[in-house]
Amino acid sequence: MKLAVCIKRVPDMEGRFKIASSGTGIDEAGLKFDMSDFDGYAAEVAIQITEKLGAGEVTVISLGPDVVQETLRKALSMGAHRAVQLKHDAPVSDGLAIATALAAELKDGGYDLILCGRMAVDTQNRSTGAFVAELLGLPVITAISQLNVDGGVVKARRELEGAYELIECPLPAVVTIDEGIARARYPSLKGIMAAKKKPLEVKPAQVGAVTYQLEKMELPADRAAGRIIGEGKDAVPELVRLLKEEAKVL
Amino acid sequence: MTASNGLFALIVAVAAGFFASNVQRLVGYLRLGRLDDSRWDNVPRRLYNLATIGIFQRKIFRDGIAGPMHAAIFWGFCVLTVGTSEFIVRGIVPTFTLAHYLPQWAYRFYQNSQDLWGALVIGAVAFALWRRLTHRVKRLQGAETHANDPLLILSWIGLLMVTMFLAESFEMVAFPQHASPYYRPLSYALANVLSFVPQDWAAFFRSLNWWSHGLLVLGFLNYLPYSKHLHVVASLPNVYLSNTSGPGQAGVMKYMDLEAETEQFGAKDVEHLSWKSLLDGFACTECGRCTAVCPANTTGKLLSPRKIIVNVRERLEQRALELQTAGSGRETAEGRPLLDGFISEQELWACTTCRACVQECPVSIDQLSVILEMRRNLVLGESRFPEEVMPAFESMEQRGSPWAFDPGERGKWADGLDIPTMAELAERGETADILYFVGCMGSFDDRAKKTTVAFAKIMKAAGVNFAILGREEKCNGDPARRMGNEYLYQMLARENVDTLAKYHVRTIVTACPHCMHQLGNEYPQFGGHYDVIHHSTFIAHLLAQGRVPLREELHAAVSTFTYHDSCYLGRYNQIYDAPRETLKRALPVVHLVEMPRSGDRGLCCGAGGGRMWMEESEGKRINAERAEEALATGAQAVAVACPFCMTMMRDSISSRDESVPVYDIAEVVAERLG
Ligand SMILES: Cc1cc2nc3c(=O)[nH]c(=O)nc-3n(C[C@H](O)[C@H](O)[C@H](O)COP(=O)(O)OP(=O)(O)OC[C@H]3O[C@@H](n4cnc5c(N)ncnc54)[C@H](O)[C@@H]3O)c2cc1C
Ligand code: SF4
Ligand code: SF4
Repeated sequence: MKLAVCIKRVPDMEGRFKIASSGTGIDEAGLKFDMSDFDGYAAEVAIQITEKLGAGEVTVISLGPDVVQETLRKALSMGAHRAVQLKHDAPVSDGLAIATALAAELKDGGYDLILCGRMAVDTQNRSTGAFVAELLGLPVITAISQLNVDGGVVKARRELEGAYELIECPLPAVVTIDEGIARARYPSLKGIMAAKKKPLEVKPAQVGAVTYQLEKMELPADRAAGRIIGEGKDAVPELVRLLKEEAKVL
Repeated sequence: MTASNGLFALIVAVAAGFFASNVQRLVGYLRLGRLDDSRWDNVPRRLYNLATIGIFQRKIFRDGIAGPMHAAIFWGFCVLTVGTSEFIVRGIVPTFTLAHYLPQWAYRFYQNSQDLWGALVIGAVAFALWRRLTHRVKRLQGAETHANDPLLILSWIGLLMVTMFLAESFEMVAFPQHASPYYRPLSYALANVLSFVPQDWAAFFRSLNWWSHGLLVLGFLNYLPYSKHLHVVASLPNVYLSNTSGPGQAGVMKYMDLEAETEQFGAKDVEHLSWKSLLDGFACTECGRCTAVCPANTTGKLLSPRKIIVNVRERLEQRALELQTAGSGRETAEGRPLLDGFISEQELWACTTCRACVQECPVSIDQLSVILEMRRNLVLGESRFPEEVMPAFESMEQRGSPWAFDPGERGKWADGLDIPTMAELAERGETADILYFVGCMGSFDDRAKKTTVAFAKIMKAAGVNFAILGREEKCNGDPARRMGNEYLYQMLARENVDTLAKYHVRTIVTACPHCMHQLGNEYPQFGGHYDVIHHSTFIAHLLAQGRVPLREELHAAVSTFTYHDSCYLGRYNQIYDAPRETLKRALPVVHLVEMPRSGDRGLCCGAGGGRMWMEESEGKRINAERAEEALATGAQAVAVACPFCMTMMRDSISSRDESVPVYDIAEVVAERLG
């Protein structure tokens, strides 16, 4: 069984973000980057499938500049078998353009199952996985929380508000991974050593035509400091007045 | 030589041969361990340990009851071994006697010593037997112990002494011309009691006891290798070869070559441990002193450092047969490895690395290094660790701190205090005499930041020329290393060493004992050599020099303090007095009360060894135990000198008695700054 996992390198969400001077992106200085969380779960799921079968191959693919190799190595040290970097140095914010490049790589790979994250934790477009499926003409099940691959069929579960769906479709297929399905394992030193010897191919990305441009990025305005009106029941009338007149929530 | 001499010679030869082959077998077992751990250096220091800990039983005496008892038996053994050697030679060559080689006074002294020490040993053995049979001494209990073995051994020693006395006394009865009160006064007295026995009977009883004694001695020697009393043979070499009391700084973890061509990182089974850890297994007396002081064990957790060591020996004896018969066609069934087969993950993660066990062990066993090598295998080899630790690992890797704080905010506590960073100074072409390495707790934790500020203010008031690293500082890596994540640790250590090299840092002060231990004692493994001074020592020094302007009036609210020792300051770095000294100087009338467990017997707060990031659901919480001990002193405030101790003590004390504050020693001094 051949599995592919699309992995995006994203900044550490705990960092302090600043807008770059271009005004259309963030300033990367001082930021740490790692695999997007959902992509980590996807890699874990794929690796577990091959471990259970005792056969199969997991290919991890990332589009971006050379630094994504570090992220790919991490997936290899978790247990993926080979990696492909689709080299592209300029940032692209259009999920369809990205999906076009991914699909071009995935098309002839003979993959039975392609896994993406439900969304990239930074830009959260939630689009790339579905675009990839469409471009490849494959069925897609999005945001799944359980996965079972058995005899050429994927069975998956999606969480809804207070309910869930069980969905089946034939392989090959694309799935996008939600949380709760698996935790990305912490690479062992053995895995890290082994990863150094695993193949990592670099190919030029065939990014599709950009259908939209990011115009401007801005940080939300600093929240105004809170105000203490008073203490005890004497303060209640003033609070009610402010909620009505200033905040206009009553 | 008579037929009986010949027979005895034959028995001695067989017994000696059998013993030698057993020793050879056991040495062969040691060779199954890792051999890259040389202990042939520092002969003077090792001889000193041998003399103080081995011969003079320094650690044995830490127990006021068992100490003198054991010392009597041990010293008795040393003295009586001379007599036993003479006895054996004379059994083969009847004309042999030391009297031919010694001046009369010396020979007489020697003969007297045999009698006196023989009696002392009988007394000590009787006491030990009585104690074991009538008192359930807590530390001697435990599923891993071999409870009947000591009873057998003690009785055996008692019989050795009894037969020695009877043989001597009956000899005096049978051959009155040999009797003299000046050589063996006690045997002589006994002979007087036994003088009613006819001479030919006495001769027979002499022979009977003589043979019994001889056979008991040889039997004893050959029983040892199968018993926990192998320590009789193994403990002195173990004390000599041990590093737990030096040479070298206490508690430094072994460097690990991560590039080594090996599939095995850390220890999963006995062959992955150092040969010295295997020798520890042979030297263990199962006395339980380690387990009795273990904060994890005494608060109801499964971990028992004694069990760890007993398990090493048990598994080694099993594994040695497996390895030796492998490929011979007569394979022994494979047992389960040390990890999971004998020692569970749960036990290994319960350790706070407080070093109390190592400190207490009378034969200088290093229980902790077994635990830590096994943690290395868990993390590096198998990626097995409590899941709550994962965010700490990831954050250390991502943000250089075990907590998810923005690394850019590391120096934020210093805003408005006019404290330069090394980078700012370098830009101006300046430098500072001293680097203040703040650490993650001191930089990000709200409570610890108060200590950080207090210490910085003291240094400023004293006119110390210091700077910080600010955002360039990284976690020292101690949590990663103690949790077995050597890979992550080395990454952090190397980054810090590079940063410090960039600014040519020589002298470092820190308020965190973990930072201190890393930078001062473990970074030399990466080429970082600094003079690292803990703030307790540094402040004590500034106060002694009168460099800190203190207000004259006495401290208002608090006058009775108890001080909680940090493991990494105390047992790892032997700093016990400086924090107490600092307190006393800052509070001239302070009344310092000590907890029952203090100084090198201090009880851990429960945060070390990465426990800070793990759940503690098994048994009682360690910090609860410590808080109760602190409050029981009646002190009005508790002082600490470590940010981890601060968190643990404050959490547990504030939930018990809101009115007892916990202060860092720096805060106590800063409070009185003029
Ligand atoms: C700070 C920053 C810097 C960037 N720098 C570059 C750059 O130098 N060069 C460049 O080409 N692009 C760059 N990008 C664009 C980025 O790589 C995304 O691919 C793009 O924004 C797609 O939208 P999304 O991430 O919201 O995807 P979503 O649709 O939310 O992502 C869903 C899933 O699609 C897959 N996926 C998404 N992106 C990729 C990818 N790049 N590779 C593999 N799988 C992917 C993952 O499985 C992911 O979980 C940058 C983006 C940011 C925020
Ligand atoms: S180091 Fe401390 S916690 Fe660990 S086993 Fe020894 S005594 Fe117990
Ligand atoms: S390890 Fe040391 S302290 Fe612990 S039981 Fe053995 S001999 Fe006693």
